[in-house]
Amino acid sequence: MQSVAEFDNVGLRYGTGAETLTDVSFKLFPGSFYFLTGASGAGKTSLLKLLYLAHRPSRGAIRMFGEDLVNMPRSRLPGFRRRIGVVFQDFRLVSHLSAFDNIALPLRIAGISERDLAGPVNEMLDWIGLTERASARPATLSGGEQQRVAIARAVIGRPEMLVADEPTGNVDPDMALRLLKLFAALNRLGTTVVVATHDIHLLQEIEGAQMMRLDKGKLSDPTGALKHPPRPLVLRN
Amino acid sequence: MRLPFTANPHERQLIPDGRFTGPMPWVMAIMLFLSLLAAAAALALVHAASQGSESLSRQATVQILENDPGARLSQQQQVAARLRRQPGISDVNIVPESEARALLEPWLGDVAEDSDIPVPALIDLEFSATPEPTRLNALRKDAARIAPSVRIDSNAQWLKPWFDLVYSMLWVALAIVLLLLFATAATVALAVRGALNTHKGTIEIMHMMGGTDLQVARLFQRRVALDALFGGALGLALAVAVILLLGERIAALEPGLLSGASVPLYGWPLLLLIPVAVTALSMAMARWTVLSTLKKML
Ligand SMILES: Nc1ncnc2c1ncn2[C@@H]1O[C@H](COP(=O)(O)OP(=O)(O)O)[C@@H](O)[C@H]1O
Ligand SMILES: [Mg+2]
Repeated sequence: MQSVAEFDNVGLRYGTGAETLTDVSFKLFPGSFYFLTGASGAGKTSLLKLLYLAHRPSRGAIRMFGEDLVNMPRSRLPGFRRRIGVVFQDFRLVSHLSAFDNIALPLRIAGISERDLAGPVNEMLDWIGLTERASARPATLSGGEQQRVAIARAVIGRPEMLVADEPTGNVDPDMALRLLKLFAALNRLGTTVVVATHDIHLLQEIEGAQMMRLDKGKLSDPTGALKHPPRPLVLRN
Repeated sequence: MRLPFTANPHERQLIPDGRFTGPMPWVMAIMLFLSLLAAAAALALVHAASQGSESLSRQATVQILENDPGARLSQQQQVAARLRRQPGISDVNIVPESEARALLEPWLGDVAEDSDIPVPALIDLEFSATPEPTRLNALRKDAARIAPSVRIDSNAQWLKPWFDLVYSMLWVALAIVLLLLFATAATVALAVRGALNTHKGTIEIMHMMGGTDLQVARLFQRRVALDALFGGALGLALAVAVILLLGERIAALEPGLLSGASVPLYGWPLLLLIPVAVTALSMAMARWTVLSTLKKML
């Protein structure tokens, strides 16, 4: 089975310090659901940055969608990034754009016409319960609302891979579960999902999800996620 | 490449600053105003020079300085007759003594009317082409056999320093325009770099969603084009007003070397070309700055 992403002995070093990630090797398979756990500072965000192409590794090999990423020219990166949806840990909403325009951003960048994007964006606003706040700027939204907008923006383009960095950190447990269900629904449609979290309750909500754990920049796989092909997912309750 | 003015309205929102907030359009206006004045002055001078030079430099004056009035008159007649037979001289015109005295009047006052005071006998010559100094020298030697005191002064001789000045000023004006264009390009680069810094966050987000460098460049290019167009229009309007005003003042002068100094008709399209060129240059500069800055990002 061809992997969505494949890391082979990847190391990442910021500046001249010690390695933040060391000897990281794994394969992500299409249609599977992964949790990435680890203490704060373990390197979760750093690993995800490599996954969503915000950084190049200091060493090792990365293949994405079957292609070598390390030697890929810059000009080809946008095409790959459009296949990946990202929920940033700090949301990274565009502060002068409304909730609607933030969610529409990936579609507009991909050149989708205004006529074709209004429907999906409104549907998404409805789903995250922010229809009334469609024209609100991020600064006037609560932390949880901003997070929902960030998630909506990440999934609106039906990415082949969704990467979410602590996506439920700012929402109440009910909303956390709703968002997780959205990820699971997307996953059933074929999207590979990677969620970094330190919330162990979440891990139990999706049966069949695989788990990877980072400890001081080194990866371990308590569920054997790194060796075995994915199992079908079961959503509890 | 999409034209900058067709960037769709939602793309434009990504870089939200108002168009005329920064100093850019004003700097552009000043640069353009100065460039246009320099260019207009150069055009006007060249026009004046080329207008005057053609006929002026083909003219020469023969002077015979002879104290004896009878000899002076006969020498004048003979020299004129001799010059009429020379090839390349299209017109030989004996200046009557009364006219020569009238010419001197502004300098000598009433004395000029006093027939006891000798005035040179003058012959106006017009060549079919600007005469070389060697040719004038040969003519003088030939005429000297009749009138030993003869002198031939060509207008080209005393016009030459004036033309030299005009052409040096043309080069100076060209240098000024080029320097101002260079300064404009540098201003654009600085402003764009500043704007890129201000909007770094938005640009990173665009990149992460798969936005290309060209998509980002288009946004900045469009803003710079608008700034340049605004600055260009303002600079042009001011410059045209000043040029027309100065033109009026120059037209009111006594006829002389400056009287032909107005921007010729063919000069106006050239002047209009400058704001267009500046806008194009600014956009190219903005694009280049954006693309070369973004290349350093991932
Ligand atoms: N841009 C950066 N420059 C330097 N050090 C960084 C940078 N980003 C993260 N780090 C360091 O790398 C380590 C891992 O950080 P991070 O990947 O954010 O961990 P986590 O997401 O698991 O909390 C931390 O020690 C952090 O200080
Ligand atoms: Mg983190």
